[in-house]
Amino acid sequence: MTVAARSAERPSEKLRVMRTPKSVDIDITDRCNLRCKYCYFYASPADVKQDLPLEEWLLFFEELKRCAVTEVCLAGGEPFIRQDLPDLIRGIVRNRMRFSLLSNGTLITDELAAFLASTKRCNYVQVSIDGSIPITHESFRGQGTFTQAVEGIRTLQRNSVPAAVRVTIHRQNVRDLENIARLLLEEIGLPSFSTNSAGYLGLCQKNTEQVQLSTAERHLAMNALLSLDRKYGGRISAQAGPLAEGKAWLEMEKARREGRASLPDCGRLTGCGCPFSKIAVRSDGVIVPCNMLSHIELGRINRDDLQDIWQNHAELWKIRERRSKPLADFEFCRGCSYLNYCTGNCPALAYTLLGQVDHPSPDACLRKYLEEGGELPEELPD
Amino acid sequence: MSEDKPTANPSVILREEFDDWAVLFDPDTAEGYALNPTGVLVWKQMDGKHTVADIVKIIRDNCEDVPEDVGQHAQDFVAGLVKQGLAGYEVKE
Repeated sequence: MTVAARSAERPSEKLRVMRTPKSVDIDITDRCNLRCKYCYFYASPADVKQDLPLEEWLLFFEELKRCAVTEVCLAGGEPFIRQDLPDLIRGIVRNRMRFSLLSNGTLITDELAAFLASTKRCNYVQVSIDGSIPITHESFRGQGTFTQAVEGIRTLQRNSVPAAVRVTIHRQNVRDLENIARLLLEEIGLPSFSTNSAGYLGLCQKNTEQVQLSTAERHLAMNALLSLDRKYGGRISAQAGPLAEGKAWLEMEKARREGRASLPDCGRLTGCGCPFSKIAVRSDGVIVPCNMLSHIELGRINRDDLQDIWQNHAELWKIRERRSKPLADFEFCRGCSYLNYCTGNCPALAYTLLGQVDHPSPDACLRKYLEEGGELPEELPD
Repeated sequence: MSEDKPTANPSVILREEFDDWAVLFDPDTAEGYALNPTGVLVWKQMDGKHTVADIVKIIRDNCEDVPEDVGQHAQDFVAGLVKQGLAGYEVKE
């Protein structure tokens, strides 16, 4: 049985893009009570020094309902710094969406956690934990933040709010990973946690020597995380950073040794799938492709039509169409034996490192890592 | 009481995706349910004003290659939605 009357072909069908974004990442505030030295937000184009009033966001949430958006992720800045956070969340719930929050954990109270639980729509609150003890966690986050962040997680747990943790790996905590895993998975009892490493974004650009892992430290982190992930039965995850790189690079090396023609979805700039399912909004209401590509302004909430931007904006299509660009066309990739096993990685890091979105990112380049003296992680027995 | 006129749960989101397929998303449970184009057509008629028989007629008028037992299919489909909390029947006081 088929429906006879089909809708007319839309531009979005050429790459099979959803009719509307499924989720929206919102920088709900530009303010934060901390200034972590590797924060991707501050000193980036996302840091616009402006917050919108509650009413503007509530009006926008109504548009998200009309677009059938299912989830918003509130970040910033520190979302819990907004006194009207419960009103914002009531607006999200009223408009049939679920939500998640990215937080430093220091401002979470029992009252707020109980409220979040009462909505029954909270996917998770992600708290940043960067150490097993104050000295490592606080090395770039500030004194007193460790106890507050851990207490934030325990407050969420006490109130039955799903708590997630992101560990950002840097030079001061790279030797603390085993203890961090023990703290989070055994003592605090989280089901899992995710990892990343401080990337060349925002404030990290000014503090890169202090913060970013050296080649040898990347190797150390990869081995430690792969081993811990195995020890804890896959309870450590990563979409970027040493764990993700370790897994991907082992696959790439295996494919190269076996002489495989390619790996699925590789050999082109396929490193980012976000613009196919989500979009972002800065704290001043400007719609952008991603909160790490906040210099690309697509429109403004409550003035421009979100669905129209999603389906038709030329800048958004340019980012989506990166996927069709062969890595072989880039001088940077010429002669690379991993070419057909590589995705070109994150466009935001390509932009901050090279000033070009349409380029492979050198940040997670395996060839570059090896040329700088890096070693692949030790292969673990199956 | 309109026992025979099903109503879509107003909390549930219909996300129309590729090729007129869709996903029903229940924000209270975070569960999603795939709908084929005919399911989408049925869902859109579940407004408390159409009986299942009305909906079957709409299917016959709008679809090709409609099977003989489409009425039973439609009844089962609506019953499945009701069972999963995605639809119900309006109860008047």
